[in-house]
Order: sequence, then C-alpha cells, then structure tokens
Amino acid sequence: MAVQAGGVAESDVLSQHAQEYASAARRHRAFGITKGLAAYATLSIFALIAIVPFLYLLSPSFRKSYELFSYPPKWIPSSLYTGNFGTILHQTSYPRWALNTLIFATSVTVITLIIDTLAGYAFARLRFPGRGVLFGLVLGTLMIPTAVLIAPLYIMISRLPGWTHSGINTYPGMILPMVCSPLGVFMMRQFISTLPEALVEAARLDGGSEWLIFRKIVLPLMKPAIVVLGIFTFMAQWVNFLWPLIITTTNDMKTLTVGVSSLQGQFVTNWGVISAAAVMTMAPVIVIFLMFQRWFVQASMAGALKQ
Amino acid sequence: MADISIKHLVKRFGKVEAVSDVSLQIADGEFLVLLGPSGCGKSTILRVVAGLEDADAGEIVIGGRLINFIDPVRRNVAMVFQNYALYPHMSVYKNIAFPLQIAKQSKEEVGLAVGRAAAMLGLENLLQRLPGELSGGQRQRVALARAIVRAPQAFLMDEPLSNLDAQLRIQTRLELIQLHQRLGITTIYVTHDQIEAMTMGDRIAVLSEGVLQQIGTPQEVYRRPANVFVATFLGAPPMNLIGGELEWVEFGWRFRGDNIDVPLSADVTSPPEDGNPADMRQVKLGLRPEHLRIGPPGETGGIAGQVQFLEPVGSDLFLTVEAAGTLLQVRTDPDSPLQPGENVSLLFDPWRAQVFGPDGQNLRRDTAPVESAAALAPAAAS
Repeated sequence: MAVQAGGVAESDVLSQHAQEYASAARRHRAFGITKGLAAYATLSIFALIAIVPFLYLLSPSFRKSYELFSYPPKWIPSSLYTGNFGTILHQTSYPRWALNTLIFATSVTVITLIIDTLAGYAFARLRFPGRGVLFGLVLGTLMIPTAVLIAPLYIMISRLPGWTHSGINTYPGMILPMVCSPLGVFMMRQFISTLPEALVEAARLDGGSEWLIFRKIVLPLMKPAIVVLGIFTFMAQWVNFLWPLIITTTNDMKTLTVGVSSLQGQFVTNWGVISAAAVMTMAPVIVIFLMFQRWFVQASMAGALKQ
Repeated sequence: MADISIKHLVKRFGKVEAVSDVSLQIADGEFLVLLGPSGCGKSTILRVVAGLEDADAGEIVIGGRLINFIDPVRRNVAMVFQNYALYPHMSVYKNIAFPLQIAKQSKEEVGLAVGRAAAMLGLENLLQRLPGELSGGQRQRVALARAIVRAPQAFLMDEPLSNLDAQLRIQTRLELIQLHQRLGITTIYVTHDQIEAMTMGDRIAVLSEGVLQQIGTPQEVYRRPANVFVATFLGAPPMNLIGGELEWVEFGWRFRGDNIDVPLSADVTSPPEDGNPADMRQVKLGLRPEHLRIGPPGETGGIAGQVQFLEPVGSDLFLTVEAAGTLLQVRTDPDSPLQPGENVSLLFDPWRAQVFGPDGQNLRRDTAPVESAAALAPAAAS
C-alpha cells in the first residue's frame, strides 16, 4: 500500500514537472516572439531616421520648383519631372565638377592606400628603433581637428613655388594635403597584426625580400582591409566640402560638393535643381557601397575566423 | 646535408634569458629532438638556428660554416611551422613552388621539383587546391613538401604534429620517420610530447627554463635521467620519488626513509670515502611505476603500503599506493584482483633505482652503461 501511495505521489510530481516544463516553454516562445518584434520595431525606427532625409531629397528632384511650396506639402510628385536633371547637366558645369571630384577622390584614395598599407606593414611587422614613438605620433595626429589644420595647410599650399605645380586651383594642391590618414595606418597595422607572423617568417626563410613578402604574401591577404579603407576614403573624399571649397577659387576647379552649393543663389534658389544635383552626386557612392557591401562584412569577420 | 653545432648559445628577450648557455652537437643526418615544457626555450633555439631571431651570444655552425650573421635564406635550412604557415591565397602547387620561384629557377625545373616533392608526400591530386580546402594532415604534408623541395641542409620542425588529432598524429609520426630515413637530412625537431620524442629521436635533448638538462638516446634519457626534472618530465605516470637518506652498511648502500629501509646496488653512488657525507642525508629515491612489483604484505625487502586508487587504462592497471610516507604509482597487470584498501608490499630490483642528491642531480655512478647494469642485475638483487 505504502509502495502504491509512493508511486501515485511520484507520478503526480512527474506530471507537475511536465506542466511546469510546458508552461516554461510557452513563456520562452512568447518571450522570443516579443523580443523579435521589439528588435524589428527598433531597427525600423532607425532605418526610417536614416532614410527619410534621402526621400525628402529625392522627392523635390523630380518636381518642378513651383510645386515644392504647394500646401499641403506633397511627398509624391503628381508626375515625374526630369527637367531638373537636364538643367544640371546642360546649364551648369556639373560634368566638369564631376570629373574634378573623380580625379580628386580617386587620387586621394590610391595614394592613401599605398601609404597606409606600407606604413601599417612597417608598424606591424618591421622592428626598428623608435617604432612605438612614431606610431604614437601617428595616432596623436588623430586628436587634431581638421578645422585647425585648414588654415596652415592653405597657407602652405598657397606659398608653394610655381615649379611644384601644387598651388591653389591645382589638382596636386587639392590632393596631396588629403592623402595618408592616420586612422588608415592604424587600421592597416591592426589588420596586418592579425595575420599569422609565421607566414612572413616562412616567406623570409623561403628567400623572400621584405618588398617581395609585402607584395606576394601580405598584400593579397589584406584585400578585405584594403577594400574597406578604399571605400571609406573614396566616399569621404567624394563628399569632402571644406578643403575643396578653400583651395579652389575658379569654377573649373570646383568639386561636386562645392559646385552644388554654389548653385544656391543670393536671392532665389532653385531647390529642385539643387536636389537633383545632390541625388546625382550621391548615386555613385551608393552604387559603390552596394557593390562592395560583402567586403565590409568579410573585413569585420576576418580577424575572428582566420588563424 | 650537414652537421650542426651550437656553441654556448644565449638568447634574451628583454631581461628574460630564454636560452642559457646551451651547446649541442648534431651529427650529419641525425634526428635530434628538443624536448621540454612550454617556455623552456626549445622553439627559441630553433628560431635562432633558422635566423628568425639573433643570438645574444654563442655560435651556430652548419656544415662547418659560421652562420650567425648570415641571412635566413642563405643558411639553407627549411622550417616546418606549428600552424604550417601555408600561404592561404596560393594553390598547393604555388605554395611548394614559392621558394624555387624566388630563387629564379626555370619553369621546367620548378615543375619537376614540385612534382617530385608532391609525389613523395602523395599530394599529386591536390596541387590545384587552396590550403583552406585541405584537411589538417594534408596541410601538414604540403608544409613538408615546401620544406623538402629546396633540398635544404637541415630541417627545423617546430611542433609540426601538435595541430593534428591523435589518430592522425600517430600516422604522420610514422611518415615523418620514414621521410627522414629516406632523405637522411639532419633534423632538429621541437616538441613537448614525450612519446614523439621517444619514438622519433636518434637523441633527445631535454630543456627546462632555457637550460639543457640532459642529452642522450631516448633509452639513456629514460633509464638514466640526469636529474629530478628529467626523471619526472619523461614517463607517464612520472617517476616516483621518495625522500630519505643513504647509509653505508657493510660494503653497501641502504636507503632509509619514512617506513622504508631497502638495500641499493653498488653502482647507485660512490662509496662514502669518495662522496660528500652531507649529500647522503637528503636524497630522493627514484623508481619508475613499471619497476615496482606488488607482493604479499610483510615480504622482506619490500616497502609496506596500502592500495588507494585503481586506474585501469586497458593495457595496464595503474595503482596508487600509499607507502613510505607518500603516494606511489605502480604499473601492474590489468587482470590483477587488487582492491582499494588492500595491504601490499612493493618490491623492486635495487639496480633499477635512481638516487638524486639534494641538488636534484643523479648520484648514480654512470660508468656502467645501461646494458652492463642489466647484466649485473641478478647479482645485485640477490
């Protein structure tokens, strides 16, 4: 009898456990769904914050200027008007500004990549006296705001002798002060530090010179980091405003950002045209970003996965 | 191929002396294993020989040529790294061909040499693959192929098997031994695995904290450890050590300690008139687990003890026996009926015992080689 009672009590306990388990599982599922919804809601809010200004810009570029100030404001144009883009291309120096920007941003990017990867390699892998101090100095420059540098840079560039062809309103004058970012040097150094040192040592034993090791072993493995730094630099320089504004005075040397801002008149501003110009300016950057998006993910994962 | 001689090598990292006055002679075609725990300086020695680190003092001579100040590549040694260090963006073919291409050999020569190396290591079908697509064992073979393709004077191997799983490690170990027999290239092999050291090395150099402890054939190092470190580092479970003192009684040594009083053979140490008497008071008796036999309790000449734990490992049974004031490990027959708590006595052949002085050095008179000690055994035991 006692045994039976014990058995009953045991099965009660078991079914109670099962119920508890089931309700815990239900709670867990419900919590999971709530958590998912909350995450989506938060992300949607941030996505909206990011995308609204762009839509706000896109909308007027396809409308005639008198439509812009209609009340109540209309977000979606009644018909797609492309005249603003025509005006930009035919009545302003937009193509010339685009060419200038392309030359400026591409040159800065290429030179930055060369300098930063070489400097990063030296700081990460070569042993030389004063390495720590020099690297500290490079990082120290990060603390100097760009605005502080603008005036001295302008004075330096404007006083360069004529034979350097690097004065105001010249490509070299525009490009050279912008090359080599300390952040890029830091990024490259960190990335190279994550590559196994044994690779470089193996190549050294195989007879590789320092330059050959850099070119044949390190550089190919740095592809993700190079792409990321390249895109960052290119995008930053494509929309760089302050330096090109200061170093260019002629319409022919303006970059897109400077050119577009000059479309703003003193008394009348055609916002449709300016919006169209802004959209056209942004388009290539967005396309490039979308093209190389997967590299961003890869570069951020590279350190974690590679031994 | 060449002999390697390391003379009074010192290497410091900041204030830490990683290698202290190490001298080694490695004969042409010899397979020398550097064995020791992590941080004992074994890899550092290898890296100094390779030229990846500079020596702070000492000489390294390969094939009669002083190479301290010669570029790594001109030393003509090939290194196999622990993590293989294969170039991940190059195919297996390019990985193996890399040193030859740098040396500006013609395409045909490179192709032939890579083909030969690949055939030797069974990599013919993998030449177009990237290292990331290979298994651990295959990567290991590619690393070896890259080393042999240059026909170096010496191989330097830095724990090349430690990234492989147990099964593959045994297989690759055999392959490495075969490869060495076939090529006969002088090899320095670094490992912390004593099984690798015992099975592969012609000789083993045991290191601890940058100091060479002992160098000898695997048998010598195992049977006649030079000091307590070597005795306890080699062997699994390690050698048992019992604290006590030596006493000269009627033309022979006796070891006396806590609950132990046993005779030792004559070659354990010098007669008292030759040695320092103070040295005889604080000694350690060293006995390997396989040299202890289990006898019935109260057996004359035995050490009285009580079985504490049993650890069956399949082929053997390891007993932990409390005796002579300490815990002793005994290897015995796996079918032994012993149970924890049983009283036993432990017996051993006196000639097998090692005696270590207060400074940890083996006091044994090493005049007799291992074989003759074995011949003396019956006389000494009786």
